[in-house]
Amino acid sequence: MAAQASAPRVDGRVRRPWSVRARRWAHDNLFGDAWNAALTVVTALLLVAGVLLLARFVFRTADWTVIETNRRLLTIGRYPAGEEWRLWPPLWALLGVGGLSFGLWIPLGVRGYAVAAGVTAFLYLLLLEGNNAALFGVGVALAVAVYAGTRAWVVGSRAEPRVRVAAIVGMALLLPLVVLMLQLGDGVRTSLWSGFLLNVTLATVGIALGFPLGVMLALGRASSYPVIRWTATGYIEVVRAGPLVAWLFMARFVLPDFLPPVAGLDELDIVARAMLVLAGFTGAYVAEVVRGGLQSLPRGQFEAAQAVGLNALQTTWLIVLPQALRAVIPALVSQFISLWKDTTLVFALGLIELLGAGEATLSQTDFIGREKEVLAFVALAFWAIAFGMSRLSLRVERTLSVGAS
Amino acid sequence: MHLSRPRLWRSRSAQRLGVQAIFGSVVALLLLYAVSRAAQLDMDFGFLRGPAGFTIANDWVFSYQSNESRLTAYLVGVWNTVRLVVVGILLATLLGVVAGVARLSGNWLVARLATLYVEAVRNTPLLVQIVFWWLAVFLTLPQIAEQRGLFGIVFVSNRALALPWLAPRGLAALWLLVVLAGLVAGWLVRRARLAREERTGLPARAGLWGAATALLIAGVGFVATGLPLEPNTPEIIRSGTNIQRYEGGLSITPQFAAVLIALVTYTGTFIAEIVRGSIQALPKGQSEAAAALGLSSYQRMTLIVLPQALRTMIPPLTNQFLNLNKNSSLAVVVGYSELFFISTVVINNAGHAVPMFVLVIGTYQVLNLMISAGMNYLNARVQLVGH
Repeated sequence: MAAQASAPRVDGRVRRPWSVRARRWAHDNLFGDAWNAALTVVTALLLVAGVLLLARFVFRTADWTVIETNRRLLTIGRYPAGEEWRLWPPLWALLGVGGLSFGLWIPLGVRGYAVAAGVTAFLYLLLLEGNNAALFGVGVALAVAVYAGTRAWVVGSRAEPRVRVAAIVGMALLLPLVVLMLQLGDGVRTSLWSGFLLNVTLATVGIALGFPLGVMLALGRASSYPVIRWTATGYIEVVRAGPLVAWLFMARFVLPDFLPPVAGLDELDIVARAMLVLAGFTGAYVAEVVRGGLQSLPRGQFEAAQAVGLNALQTTWLIVLPQALRAVIPALVSQFISLWKDTTLVFALGLIELLGAGEATLSQTDFIGREKEVLAFVALAFWAIAFGMSRLSLRVERTLSVGAS
Repeated sequence: MHLSRPRLWRSRSAQRLGVQAIFGSVVALLLLYAVSRAAQLDMDFGFLRGPAGFTIANDWVFSYQSNESRLTAYLVGVWNTVRLVVVGILLATLLGVVAGVARLSGNWLVARLATLYVEAVRNTPLLVQIVFWWLAVFLTLPQIAEQRGLFGIVFVSNRALALPWLAPRGLAALWLLVVLAGLVAGWLVRRARLAREERTGLPARAGLWGAATALLIAGVGFVATGLPLEPNTPEIIRSGTNIQRYEGGLSITPQFAAVLIALVTYTGTFIAEIVRGSIQALPKGQSEAAAALGLSSYQRMTLIVLPQALRTMIPPLTNQFLNLNKNSSLAVVVGYSELFFISTVVINNAGHAVPMFVLVIGTYQVLNLMISAGMNYLNARVQLVGH
């Protein structure tokens, strides 16, 4: 029949030409009734005005030389010249492990490739040139090669489980590698870690120390030993009572008087003390998240573990924690995102992290009045990583099918 | 046969006791060390009685002078925190509910715009936003000398946003009492009308009656006490050649505005996500049944969906309000004189960091508990009865 030839049937329904479908879609989603149509027009006007203003700012009125001139200050701040070589191996390792992990767990779609290419292009346009561009290129090439190699030869092969273990070990070794590289030989004092580098290290150390602390606190709060339970509960509640910025100020004004002269603890500089405070603070919040996971475990899990003869440590390590942590991955990730955003708070202590470095550029005589450019750049840098983390956690949730909310 | 009792270190209760004794003594030792260090440094709150010696930029209602005690200065700070947090919670809830409902709107463009707002603002550090509003928006407003006014009654400059306001005079305090009495009377009338509605089954318009009673009493009282509020428009006072300031009206300082806007827009995104989640968790049948009864989409949302979603919303909302309360301390970076800022000034002037921090953490905890108590009361009111 002629009608069938022009309109192929899908599921027994006629598939209309795109112009009809577009009109129908617009009717259903934009112009259903007078109220909706008015709403659409107003919103569209607002959006167009917003986009035009933004475009005018980004391409016409803004002067981005303030960022280009200060890229060193913004990225590594007061980090001493001549010691940059220490930063490249950890960055390469990060990119390599990143490529491996994406290859194993999070295969990129078209959108993934576009985002990766866009971010790389942005970095090259605004932040990298000369030697640094070449050195960063090594890392990018490494990431691409590892990703491609993993997709081609590892995924689906017999070696995959072992490579997965290697990837996890690699992630765990990243932080020690950074510390080692920065301290090796005549190392760089922590008080000189600044700029974006400081935000990254603060967040990494905060997670690396705060997460185990939080798990221990959560287990302590669920313990059947009253003394341990009270201690954990007391710590968690006291830390959660006050704002982080107050605890950070305490790291500056009070902590030096309280750290005992053991193992050089009393000589920690303000950056190291801020790291300790961030870790202790994150620990209290992680503990509450993990507690939710522990409470969601059915009682039968504990009883079954006992029935097969596991002792308390084995039950916790093999039965309880894997399930409890898996159940709270989304909440954990949002806790880490909030830690990432909270690393800006050391700015209130006068440390030169990215926001502080941005503010420092504003006192340069050439760039007075460039607040919008600098703060937009700072906001974008934090936003990109936080948004990336939240998207990544969505992917991981879907892969593990957890955290249905 | 005689079963020998297990050896002491094998017995379960001895193990429990031992572990707790060791753990407890370690914790006790650490606490003891901290307390003895604190006592050694200073644990005396007497310095709070000394004169503060600094001025406070944002002092509204309190007319604080720099020769008053540090404790008074601190209380001004607490008051500044409280008004920031109360206004912030109200506005953030409003914004969050609107944005959360908008994300689920049938209008594609509106839903996208709400998503854009939530994703952009939620993933940017609050401190960066505060600094942005402060440095890039409010401080770039024109100077007071070359400001622009609106009809001669609203003024915008980087000194303040000056608005017309109602200034109390004469028997204002008495009138306030009358208004309170009116509210109580309105509430009683509403209850009586509700009881009548239940008895007779006829619509009694209880809310309308209650509101009318309260308004009537307030209005009559306003006239009877001799019009105790007068409209007060801001004026620019020139003292000297270059010194100008606003007098009269309500001056909103740029510090307050920057922190408030940042707190509201930031917390609003989290509230929007909570609202969206709660609405989505509601069975679809509720909305469909309401549509089948012929309710408009506005009625469906306000009468059927939101009241039920409120039940699941309240616990996470409480968390967000507590976060807003604690985040208000970030105002310290723009110098808005809330309680944490005042404490840092006191510590810089007079030392005594340890007791000051104890006081600060204690104050935040009290504010947290007040918010939690209020929300728990609300929670108890909206939960289903008899389940």
